[in-house]
Amino acid sequence: MSVPALTTGSRRAVWRRQFLLQGCWNYEGMQNVGFAYAILPALREIYSKRPEEGLKAVKRHLEFFNTQPAMGALILGASVRLEERVAAGEADPRAIGTFKVGLMGSLGAIGDSFFWGALRPMASVAGVLLALLHPLLGIAAMLILYNFTHLILRRKVFAAGMEGPEGAVGWLKQAGLNIRTDDRKLLAAILGGAYAGLFAGRFAAQGGGAPHALAWLLLAAAVVHLFTVLFRKAVSPSEILSFLLFVGVLILWR
Amino acid sequence: MAWRFLLAAILGGVCYLDRTAACQLMLHRPLVVATLMGAVFGNLAAGAQVGVVLELIYLARLPVGASIPPDDTGAAVFGGSAAAVASSSIGLDGASFTGLLLLSVVVAETGKLADRFVRKVNVRIARLTAESVDRGDVQAVEHGLLAGLTLFAVMGAVLALVFSGAGVLVSKALLPRFGPANRMEFAVLLPILPLLGAASVYSCSRTERTAAVFFLTMAAVFGATGFFRWAG
Repeated sequence: MSVPALTTGSRRAVWRRQFLLQGCWNYEGMQNVGFAYAILPALREIYSKRPEEGLKAVKRHLEFFNTQPAMGALILGASVRLEERVAAGEADPRAIGTFKVGLMGSLGAIGDSFFWGALRPMASVAGVLLALLHPLLGIAAMLILYNFTHLILRRKVFAAGMEGPEGAVGWLKQAGLNIRTDDRKLLAAILGGAYAGLFAGRFAAQGGGAPHALAWLLLAAAVVHLFTVLFRKAVSPSEILSFLLFVGVLILWR
Repeated sequence: MAWRFLLAAILGGVCYLDRTAACQLMLHRPLVVATLMGAVFGNLAAGAQVGVVLELIYLARLPVGASIPPDDTGAAVFGGSAAAVASSSIGLDGASFTGLLLLSVVVAETGKLADRFVRKVNVRIARLTAESVDRGDVQAVEHGLLAGLTLFAVMGAVLALVFSGAGVLVSKALLPRFGPANRMEFAVLLPILPLLGAASVYSCSRTERTAAVFFLTMAAVFGATGFFRWAG
């Protein structure tokens, strides 16, 4: 059974809708409603002459789904292609669920590490440093640095997904996201070090002499290291801030 | 003042939508939100001053899987509005700055609870959506998503209203109660807060390669700051 190729309109609608993947994020199905919503224009077109099959397809996509939202576009694109194959009788509908479940965990880990662990800290600290010159400059730098990569990558992963599951997996292999993650982590570390040095220098300026300055630097580095050790031991920034707030109240009480 | 709160609620709703439900374009980051709230309440620079420090503090908590990080957007709404109201013509004093940053932790944890509540309500919406689809109503998917989005946006607007109100209240009623001596002592805690932010960045970016780079850059910039001060 042949199925006509997806129109550009439906393809664009799916692309636009993927930005709302987390629109109904819930503890049970997580991004399930968002995924079904995003793929709906494609399903409507693929199953336009077979509404009962279309209904089954929508139900398939209302099952549990969760991944990093930007990387979800890869699975979304590939799922559209798989649905075309299912409609044409070339694939088993169960293959779609297997594909989604098989890829969402690893894509989530890759995406979390790249977007939340590398790109966002890098953009944030760059924005913060420039905001010291002018707040609007800092905001613009942060948004441009983050979204330039974010939007290009969303587009690329969606296009890779639209080449089918093989294309999606192939793209993941050759994209070298782990190298990109390391590069951005290195940049974030450089900028983060500059931020720490700048603020430590600012406060050291209130005292005098080289030994005093050196003591300040060592103290600041020790404080940063201590906080990092605490983070590694699952102490959250909120707990540290709460402790400092408690110390502050004691100071005021005294 | 009422129009300021109305604007804060609208902007807050948009920023909260960006946080989870839509796009994730980083419009919800504390640097953006605190600066916006500063502008809404009359002092953009004071809002940005708080945003610069808050931006990095919570970076170490990643929104991975089902875990919800503290609500740094709410902390920025509180901090930005409070800073704008508390600042004078010479800016925000060290003690008020420290106090607002530390109090923002209460807001961040409250916002986290609200986020959890929205996601629990969304479970009901998702179930209703699935039931409607079972009955043959495919359009229920679109309605379900719209309901989820609306819930996120409304909760965001309400939180922005409450947190900006709390910020203004703290600035007008709590901060003026402390005298100059208390303020001097309290400001001792201030240098720790940017270092907490730096540790958050270091924690995120930590690999074998980056550990030395972070501390070398820190020492170099610290040295350069000292040199320019000495030379100038």
